[in-house]
Amino acid sequence: MSQQQTLRPRKPLRPLAVVKNLGALLLAAVFVFPVYWMFSSALKPSGEILTKDPVFLFTPTLDNFGTATGVEMFWTYVQNSLVVTVGAVLLALAVALAAGFALARMTFKGRKGLVLAVMMAQMAPWEVMVIAMYMIARDAEMLNSIALLTVIYFVMVLPFTIWTLRGFIAAVPATLEEAAQIDGCTRGQAFRKVIFPLLAPGLMSTSLFGFITAWNEFAMVLILNKDKAAQTLPLWLTQFQTAFGNDWGATMAASSLFAVPVLVVFVFLQRKAVGGMTAGAVKG
Amino acid sequence: MKRKLIAAVGVAGMMAGVAACGNGGDDKGSSDANGNKTVTVWVMDGSAPKAWLDEVNKEFEAKHPNTKVKVEIQQWKGIQEKVTTALSENTPPDVIELGNTQTAGYAVTGGLADLTGDKAKLGADAWQKGMLASAEVDGKLYSAPWYAANRVVVYDKKAFEKAGVTPPKTRDEWLAGLDKLKASDPATQPIYLPGQSWYVLAGFIWDEGGDLAVKDGGKWKGQLATPQAASAMEFYKKLQAYSTAPKDKDEATPQQSTDIVPKGGVASWIGLGWEAQGALKALKEAGKEGDFGYFPIPGKTADKPGSVFLGGSNLAVAERSKNKDLAKEWLALAAGKDQMTKYAAATEGALLPNQQAANFSAAAGSFAESMAKAAANGRITPVTAGWANVETEPNPIKEYMTKVLKGEDAAKAGEAADKEIASRINK
Amino acid sequence: MTVHSQGAATSAPQDAPPPSAGPGSPPPRPSGSARPSPRGGRKSLPSGWLPYALVAPAVLSIAGLLLYPLGKNVLLSFQQVNKIELIQRKAPFIGLDNYTGLLGDAKFWTVVVRSFAFTAVNVALIMLLGSLIGILLNRLGKKMRLVLSMALVMAWAMPIVASVTVFQWLFDEQFGVANWVMRTLGFSGYDQHNWFETGFSTMVIIMILLVWGSVPFVALNMYAGLTTVGAELYEAAKMDGANGWQTFWKIVFPNLRPFFLVTTFLEVIWIFKAFTQVYAMRAGGPDRASETLPVFAYIEGQSQQHYGLAAAISVLTILMLVVVMSFYFRLILKQEDEQ
Repeated sequence: MSQQQTLRPRKPLRPLAVVKNLGALLLAAVFVFPVYWMFSSALKPSGEILTKDPVFLFTPTLDNFGTATGVEMFWTYVQNSLVVTVGAVLLALAVALAAGFALARMTFKGRKGLVLAVMMAQMAPWEVMVIAMYMIARDAEMLNSIALLTVIYFVMVLPFTIWTLRGFIAAVPATLEEAAQIDGCTRGQAFRKVIFPLLAPGLMSTSLFGFITAWNEFAMVLILNKDKAAQTLPLWLTQFQTAFGNDWGATMAASSLFAVPVLVVFVFLQRKAVGGMTAGAVKG
Repeated sequence: MKRKLIAAVGVAGMMAGVAACGNGGDDKGSSDANGNKTVTVWVMDGSAPKAWLDEVNKEFEAKHPNTKVKVEIQQWKGIQEKVTTALSENTPPDVIELGNTQTAGYAVTGGLADLTGDKAKLGADAWQKGMLASAEVDGKLYSAPWYAANRVVVYDKKAFEKAGVTPPKTRDEWLAGLDKLKASDPATQPIYLPGQSWYVLAGFIWDEGGDLAVKDGGKWKGQLATPQAASAMEFYKKLQAYSTAPKDKDEATPQQSTDIVPKGGVASWIGLGWEAQGALKALKEAGKEGDFGYFPIPGKTADKPGSVFLGGSNLAVAERSKNKDLAKEWLALAAGKDQMTKYAAATEGALLPNQQAANFSAAAGSFAESMAKAAANGRITPVTAGWANVETEPNPIKEYMTKVLKGEDAAKAGEAADKEIASRINK
Repeated sequence: MTVHSQGAATSAPQDAPPPSAGPGSPPPRPSGSARPSPRGGRKSLPSGWLPYALVAPAVLSIAGLLLYPLGKNVLLSFQQVNKIELIQRKAPFIGLDNYTGLLGDAKFWTVVVRSFAFTAVNVALIMLLGSLIGILLNRLGKKMRLVLSMALVMAWAMPIVASVTVFQWLFDEQFGVANWVMRTLGFSGYDQHNWFETGFSTMVIIMILLVWGSVPFVALNMYAGLTTVGAELYEAAKMDGANGWQTFWKIVFPNLRPFFLVTTFLEVIWIFKAFTQVYAMRAGGPDRASETLPVFAYIEGQSQQHYGLAAAISVLTILMLVVVMSFYFRLILKQEDEQ
């Protein structure tokens, strides 16, 4: 806090401050406008969504939300989405924490190669690999499986999670850990009691990344899980655009609802997720 | 005690659930431990009224004890990949609805069961010949025709009355009427016609004696660089000039029936039965009263209406289905005369059933009446496995239309399109 | 699907302590809280197997669920797998046919050039705007900072499907807000202006969407990074009489070099791989003039159901990306050595 304050110019020039604040407001408006448009379209009566002159004043209706959530098996999708997303994130955190620690703190053969592999793994073309993945799952009789979907999403977010956590772990001064060990902690205890608490921001921010990736995934679940009982919310989002008329109100209502968990997770995590994903890297 | 009670309630609830909605849950196999079987049916969103499907399934389940029908409504988005992969699985859906332009493409893959031997059981003799064409490949039957539909001109009676225009019989009368409409109300589009309504263009090409593609010595080739296509496109351009619709979009983006027409300012448009119904419903929701008249797309001469694309769907049985016989039974029932009659009635004639005898007796002046008149001149896209590839976006026919509407030479644009069609259709 | 623009977490909008890392790290925990272990005092490097045990789960899962399908994908690129073969579960080898067909196709090379140019322009814009907004965030008062960062977060949390739909509406020919704004401002010719008239204009709109969606990630992280640059450094610069520009290049940039390195790397990957935004906008149109490599792979491969061909395109894409990024890999590995 104190640091923040000292960062600001001592004697702010009035006109400059006005320009700055106006600029910030304008930018905020630009960034928020599409989001506002999504929410407001969700609340509009159907005839007022697409109009030659945009409608800004209207009587809000919750009908669109009713249509969106009234879909058959809605709650199954919600449940599946939550299981798959939370499962993938937790798995990724656990596995990445171990690997990240080894990569950041230990020297072993093949370490550099592994770092390179983790970096390159982020370029994996998942969209195209859908068919390869599908053929593997089909031949292994693993279609319509929530468990398989969870581990696929886990691996999708794993490289990024390892990379980021590694940076965070590296940023914790090794002297801290050594001090703890001198004080009688085992290496495991030192990790648990000293490093882990300091990793909170990294854990939070990588979880958010994993959450969003898994939460939005569409191509894989469309082909792998044809049984409605094993499908997730992204498929629900596309249900309202049909050949027989696009229910834009319901689409936007569904999108709004779909965005809410991400916003909630962010607001919930934001205090802790201070460092941001590159903080580890920033401190190299 | 308590746990037992919960378990008992749970089992009862599960059984009730199964009995009530015929949803076997994860029972994907051919039969469960008790010998109960589940027939899974994929239908596209909007193809069948729910009440009709329920009735078919009730009758089917009554005839086949211990068998449940599980209907899964499919969304159009990503459907090709979904169907292809499904047909490769060990437990595919038993019955699948396929678009009539796509059926041949799946028939050659070996993924569909050969129904040639079941013709009698399915009542194939009664099927409309025009609809049968898309269900057969090389003389073998791979699906049962289900329904078809074609486009007609939908018009606003009040606007036509005001301008003193009556439904035209020829193209010349049509254009003259549009001129009158334009003069009577400059703020209204005489016709709403986006630049990429390629099914409409297909009709004009057939009217000229041309086609979209023809087989030439074992290979297919596109026919858009022909003089026939050029004159069809010329007429399309004339019509399109009456509209302020975008030149680079089709009728579904934005949806003409629900996004455009209800806003007013459109005197006529070319659409399908469900589009007309959708527009009326949207008008009502907006607090307006729609009063539509219908007429077949006029031909070059008054003796017959213009050619139209006969869109529709077929029902096929998956080759890997574990319940092939039951699936065929379901097909025979759903596509049979009795249920098709009910189907035609349930859709109020907006969709043509697969046999003449099941036709809905359309009221005078209704959409169905005009559609049936036009259907006499119905045609389908080339029946070949590769056609489905031509239709996928970016559709070369649509690109061709936009180019010509924007002033490019028809022959030149046609050549580019034909090249693309040839590379896709022969794959 | 690693969705672009929805990258990792971002910094907190509010005033908050700087990241735990760094010079100002919190003091060590009181050691008394830890019970002395019998092996206390032993602080040697772990025995040889421990690091391997720690990385084993990660290595195994990446090998099993990423390398294996990736290998299958490479295999697929040498096979003919179309609709028929997929359904019949056959996969005849056709050698390099998929590759030779592609490499000899002028369309493919046009798309390659377009993809790289598009990525370069986008990433440059994103990094520039993102950094500027990050700096602005750092200079703003508490309230305004909260307002701006909340706006950024909301843009970043919006589902991609929804944002593409909304952008299509904004620039729609008949009902677009963009045309309405132009009309309202008194410009003529915007009654039904087609913003997607040419491939170029379509790419520009896609670019606006991508930049809009990606800037929040960069800006918020930039801000987070700035808060880690010690205040004393600014002080020193000030005393040396440096102006804002000089301060940035002399103090901020060197300190944040790793940040720029990593973020640029991620943005290049994400923008290059962006599919939904590009495809959903105009399906690569008009006349295929807005296709990028992932869209090309989808249109030629997936939607025509030529899965072997799609695999070949993806393999070529990765190879090219690796070559282009090798410079980056080296930089990052060098940084690794310095640690």
